[in-house]
Amino acid sequence: MQNFELLRNVTIGQYIPTGSPVHRLDPRAKILAAIFLILAVSFNRSIVANALFLAVVLAITGLSQIPLRYMLRGFVLGLPVLVLIFATQFLFLGRVDPPGYVFAEWGWLRVTQYQLQLMAISAFRITSFIFLTSLVTMTATTTELTHGVESLLAPLRRFGVPSHELALILMITLRFVPVLAEEMERIMKAQASRGAEFGTRRFWRPDRAARAYLPLVVPLFLNAFQRAEELVLAMEARCYVSGGTRTKFVQLRGRWVDVAVVMAALAFMGFMVLFPWPPVSDWLRAAGIMR
Amino acid sequence: MSDPIIRVEDLCFEYNPGTPQAVTALDGIHLEIGSGEYVAIVGHNGSGKSTLARHLNALLLPTRGNVWVNGWNTRDPAHRRAIRSTVGMVFQNPDNQIVATIVEEDVAFGPENLALPHPEIVRRVDWSLEQVEMQPYRHRAPHLLSGGQKQRVCIAGVLAMRPQVLVLDESTAMLDPRGRQEVQRVARRLNREEGTTVVAITHFMEEAVHADRVVVMEAGRIVLQGTPREVFGQVDRLRALHLDVPPITRLAQALHSRDPRFPAQVLTLQEFLDAFRAWRNGRPLCMPPWSPSGPLSAGEPCIRMEGVGHRYMKGTPLEVQAIHDVELELREGEVLGLIGHTGSGKSTIIQHMNALLRPDRGTVTVFGQDVAGPETDVRAIRRRVGLVFQQPETQLFERFVGDDVAFGPRNLGLSRSEVRERVRQAMEWVGLGFEAFKDRMTFGLSGGEKRRVALAGVLALQPQVLVLDEPTAGLDPRGRRRFLDLLRELHGRDMTLVLVSHNMEELAEMCHRLYVIAGGTTALEGRPGEVFGQGARLQGMGLDVPPVTQAFDRLVGMGLVQGLAGTVYRVEDAVRLLEEAVHAEL
Repeated sequence: MQNFELLRNVTIGQYIPTGSPVHRLDPRAKILAAIFLILAVSFNRSIVANALFLAVVLAITGLSQIPLRYMLRGFVLGLPVLVLIFATQFLFLGRVDPPGYVFAEWGWLRVTQYQLQLMAISAFRITSFIFLTSLVTMTATTTELTHGVESLLAPLRRFGVPSHELALILMITLRFVPVLAEEMERIMKAQASRGAEFGTRRFWRPDRAARAYLPLVVPLFLNAFQRAEELVLAMEARCYVSGGTRTKFVQLRGRWVDVAVVMAALAFMGFMVLFPWPPVSDWLRAAGIMR
Repeated sequence: MSDPIIRVEDLCFEYNPGTPQAVTALDGIHLEIGSGEYVAIVGHNGSGKSTLARHLNALLLPTRGNVWVNGWNTRDPAHRRAIRSTVGMVFQNPDNQIVATIVEEDVAFGPENLALPHPEIVRRVDWSLEQVEMQPYRHRAPHLLSGGQKQRVCIAGVLAMRPQVLVLDESTAMLDPRGRQEVQRVARRLNREEGTTVVAITHFMEEAVHADRVVVMEAGRIVLQGTPREVFGQVDRLRALHLDVPPITRLAQALHSRDPRFPAQVLTLQEFLDAFRAWRNGRPLCMPPWSPSGPLSAGEPCIRMEGVGHRYMKGTPLEVQAIHDVELELREGEVLGLIGHTGSGKSTIIQHMNALLRPDRGTVTVFGQDVAGPETDVRAIRRRVGLVFQQPETQLFERFVGDDVAFGPRNLGLSRSEVRERVRQAMEWVGLGFEAFKDRMTFGLSGGEKRRVALAGVLALQPQVLVLDEPTAGLDPRGRRRFLDLLRELHGRDMTLVLVSHNMEELAEMCHRLYVIAGGTTALEGRPGEVFGQGARLQGMGLDVPPVTQAFDRLVGMGLVQGLAGTVYRVEDAVRLLEEAVHAEL
């Protein structure tokens, strides 16, 4: 192992401040709108609708003033998944009946209309998913999102959903990621100074490879437990009682824009699901590509 | 003393009562803390001072006896919230007290728990951040702050509950001198201007000097208390308790022992100078001839850094230049010290010494090998240059002491008997008998013992150079002295040592040669006398010279001392010089 630099300075979620109108939206509005949009695209099986949807997502990206290359970085990370899905669909969906128009056939493998349609839809859908989730995390800080989730779950409190506790757990996790990453880096360096090597064990002996990580994992866990104990004490000393009544310092204030955005997302979902999208096959036939 | 705000009556506390592991931590404590008082509680690790602190806001409840806060008994759960918002508590490690990912939201955590109305929370957050001078950082993420800043955020988080008492439970122990000063300044100002009662638990005696009252604890009891003057006047008693006496007080006592006209109970530099002037009455004191430091090591250079620079997070927007143009040489057989603040780049420098980091610029040569060379065996370098990190005890992972020490030798692929021999030797070197300790449970040892085990783990590689990062951080005075003695013994066994510290006195006592690291580079080099002789330059870098050096500089400057050859920086030297000078006069 040559490089010991871990994600000490990396923030989860990659917030990119541009001060755009999208950034200024209430985090709750962002979360709700994203949920509606994802639902909209999940229940739609038309290529046209999916293509339109991707265009809408790109338009929102433009509005958020986030450079497209940042979005593409997330897309590259998702690429292996996309390839895997493509490969499985190409292998197996050709055999699904009715196949529609059959373009080509080599023994068991078939290229069918149904298969190509689904592959195109998945490509649009997954790209939209990735862009949409990136948009949420790039235009809202993790802290804002935590408050948003807490506030959205708050009405469920009366049904026993511990919304505040969940948000607090999320918050503490985010808080300690850099702390523990730094700790991990220190322990790695210390064990390397004692002659330990990581990542060079032979892959056919996973038991040995796992053992090689014990000198990292054991101290890290002990450290995390000790920190947890001290944190509990510090929280108790500041009058924290689980399930007690509390007030909030951060007050989310929805504006009319936020409401409008959520309503628009909801309406768009309705439109996507209910509109009679024309099948692409008619156009292909008209163009003479398909008989 | 005005009305006591906290009253502790015959407090006894046992951990795990009624079991075979029962330990008595507190044994009959009587203590009253007056409103507006500044009380320092000092004592060793394990003396019970932190256990006592945790009784003051009902985090622990007495096994016997009672604790009263504002007239409420801490045993009464109905008053728990009131007690905890009356007595605010700040702990040792700032990282483990911050809950939120944004500074101002963390400060609001306490008031939120008190279910205060929103405008009141906002008011209190503003006020508290102002009190600790952290307003400009209110929207920052805590992990991007320095240790002192983080601890100030923790204080603000406690102040936001508007406590009448602030308990600082070793809150300065993990900070560098700058951070420690920041925290102390805030605590003293709150005490003076806001009338906040402060209970400071510490093992730094310099911090106790400013208290109204010092309480010394040992084995769960209060063994000594009074004003700082009264307490530090009892040198023999403190020595019997293995506690330090502030260096200035030691100088005063040395003079007092030779000439009773010099007052014994002197706490601060200014008092010492005034007393000295009054005592001499215009006649300067002539210093005997004296040679400041021993011979420098004539050994071969074993580590050489030339024009070394290093950046972290290369190729990202977060890229930082950690060090640049570092010129450093380590000679065989010497004890070399690196001084600098947290963040000055000293940790980055020492990680180049055993090839954990490679230079981006310049060359690092270790025993004649270029660490960045293509043929270089990194593991061979790490075997010859042992690196001991800060608080190395946190790296232990084996259940049994012997196995943990054996980790290094086993990685070398040595035979069973060789491993055993090396483990035995390393353990004997650090003063842990092989037979007595090899089968002990690692995690059942005391803090000081664990640190020795971790040191043995590096010594078992039989390095020729040992590099230690803040070797005594977090140890109490007794542990610190023992650990330094251990390092002296290792040096006696022909080990070349590199000590990294922000503790001037420690480096002054131990080192033959010093490098001052400031702004990411080697700013000064020389023998301790030469380096500490440049007090003004050091202060420009935000570093202090040892207190005795300051005292002598001022005495020379005031014309009260004559014929001083060189710079005095060791307390022992200073005491001897003063004693001899007075003796020669009589």
